[in-house]
Amino acid sequence: MMKLRLNTSVEIKGSLQDVPVPSVVRIPLQKKHKSVVKKKQIVGRGQVIAENPSKSAYNIGFVHSSIDGMVEEVLPDAIVIGPIPAPKEGEAAPVPARPEPCAEMDTLANEELSRKLLELGVDTSRFHATRTLIINGLNPEPGVVVSEQLVKDAQETLKAGLQVLERALKPGTVKLVVASGKQISLHGCTTVNSSDVYPATIDPVVVHAATGAERPDNVDIISIAELYLVGRVAETKLPLTETVVSVGEKVFLVPAGMPVQDLLDAAGVPHGTDQKITLGGPMRGVALYDLSTGVPKACTAVTMVPEGLFPPVQPNPCINCGECVLVCPARIQPGMLSRYAEFNMFDEAGSRHVGACLECGMCTFVCPANRPVMQYLLLAKAQLAAKDDMVSTCRLQD
Amino acid sequence: MASQDISKNVYSVAAAPFWHCGKTLQSNMIQTLLALLPVAAMAVYRYGFDALSVMAWACLTAVVTEVLVQKLMGQEPTADDFSALVDGLLLAFLLPATVPAWMVVVGSAAMIILGRMVFGGFGGSPLSAPAVGWGILAISWPDFMDLNGMLLKWDLIEPLSELKYFGLDAIANVSPVSQLLGDNLGALGASQAGLIILAGVYLMSRGILRWFIPVSFLAGVLVAGLIYNLIDPQAYASPIFHLLSGSTLLAAFFLMPYPSSSPAWRLPMLLFGFFGGVMVVIIRTYGIYPDGACFAVLLANLGTPLFDLIQPKPFGGR
Repeated sequence: MMKLRLNTSVEIKGSLQDVPVPSVVRIPLQKKHKSVVKKKQIVGRGQVIAENPSKSAYNIGFVHSSIDGMVEEVLPDAIVIGPIPAPKEGEAAPVPARPEPCAEMDTLANEELSRKLLELGVDTSRFHATRTLIINGLNPEPGVVVSEQLVKDAQETLKAGLQVLERALKPGTVKLVVASGKQISLHGCTTVNSSDVYPATIDPVVVHAATGAERPDNVDIISIAELYLVGRVAETKLPLTETVVSVGEKVFLVPAGMPVQDLLDAAGVPHGTDQKITLGGPMRGVALYDLSTGVPKACTAVTMVPEGLFPPVQPNPCINCGECVLVCPARIQPGMLSRYAEFNMFDEAGSRHVGACLECGMCTFVCPANRPVMQYLLLAKAQLAAKDDMVSTCRLQD
Repeated sequence: MASQDISKNVYSVAAAPFWHCGKTLQSNMIQTLLALLPVAAMAVYRYGFDALSVMAWACLTAVVTEVLVQKLMGQEPTADDFSALVDGLLLAFLLPATVPAWMVVVGSAAMIILGRMVFGGFGGSPLSAPAVGWGILAISWPDFMDLNGMLLKWDLIEPLSELKYFGLDAIANVSPVSQLLGDNLGALGASQAGLIILAGVYLMSRGILRWFIPVSFLAGVLVAGLIYNLIDPQAYASPIFHLLSGSTLLAAFFLMPYPSSSPAWRLPMLLFGFFGGVMVVIIRTYGIYPDGACFAVLLANLGTPLFDLIQPKPFGGR
């Protein structure tokens, strides 16, 4: 068995790479998004294909086409854009309309700028004005090297992104959290060193490292990858149609919606059905059953996990060893909570602070009984949330 | 549609996390058996065929009883995780070499049934199963369990009984080195102090055993032993003697950290270990049994739910 390291900080060797423009993209939509294109419509790169009906300045961003092409399919969770068909005899080839650079970017500020960023595809839902802004410069998970790659290769873009955010949000202070031993600074930030060992790299723990407070309510956190995307928008003044994805040891600038299959081919990574392919890192990713799935804008990695490398997770009984308790960054008892969830005692789980779970996955990682510990905790959280939802709906009907 | 061409290859999915540290109950138990192997070999070297017979009966009965009871309870047999084997071996390590085979069988079966299966199996027990097995035997047949019974076969002394019945002078010749080497009479495995320490250190180095309970337990023994020793050095043995005699070390590394019967948080583990360690010396000083280690373990086990009430606030909790 390979030796797993939970350290996330690595020596970055390569540089940020481009991928060939895909001919077909499946751009994922979220539930809130409303499609504004029709089937067979010709769209240009950067054209809005789905809007967020909310008028707020702090919400999920609009969705733009990442290639010139024709809308092939409008699905509830994705828009498929394929190549423009060859024009018929005698007809002029359709010209996809690409948007002009948004000149207003330099003059806007505060909420208006946030709204503009949202319209240009930046997810602003986690931002609030005048709060402390923390930039998570740690690689998010072991084997995902996005953050340190960008810090090495894209200082200018990060700086541009930070300047735009400073104008939009007027943050009280900006702090950059990087792995201990790394001498990194970013324009105007206080640098804070922190452990790079997962789960010290997940957002709430990083906030704690930077501010000394657990779950403070006056702090926003943004990862380097997200800051980079803001920086792209600031530099080009064009809608955001790309994302940065770590595949193996390489990092790519990928058009949003590029099928994972194409990305893996471009990266030259061998893959097959004897592996699990996940969007995201090995600890918190989402496994794919189909490689035609498009890379979403929030994606930071595509991870391959060979089948059979690890003992299979099974609903074994808990042996009370307490390993999960020792690794849990949320200081709850995952083993006990998982048993509550296993036997449908969700309220008990709730009263024992299952809500504090940070969803890092360390409990399942260490469990010698190979129980799906975090999966049970997520079940409990989902059940409690559903129940809260139902209760609040009932109240509204009074 | 483009997606249909590709979706011929359907990948298997799972919920995150996809990595696992690779430790399983089975691998942990195999490591534990590996660590206990030298102890068993030393027991056989010292006590010959008697030791082998006791260990074999204890292990066999433990595994067979577990399978039978699991069949009765409609559970999947779990003999392949070797936890019953480890418990059987630990029980054998607590017994004198002269104990008759029928008693080993009774003790081992009682250990599995009363120490494990009535609570649902390994991991459900609120008491350390080998200590339960030992307790049942020690209370039911004290004569057979008397380590001094071995005097008939081997010309050595059992330090704790000597201390109990003849006072401090009787153990003046028992050096710590002889205790480390297992050069005195004692329970099969528990008396091989040096090798038990090695086994514990090995398991800790492999990350299978946490240091909290063994270290605090030994600290408890040392502190309590030292206090008594300071009160009257003429009446009470030295803390090092307590540390190396009887089943103290076996209890520290294998009985106290028994997974289900010990607390989970760091501070409760330290308190639990320390409490157990202090109890060893107190029971040895005032109790009627020469060795109190297993009783101390059982007593500390009873306190586990209380120790576990000392909990940190959850992340972000106010």
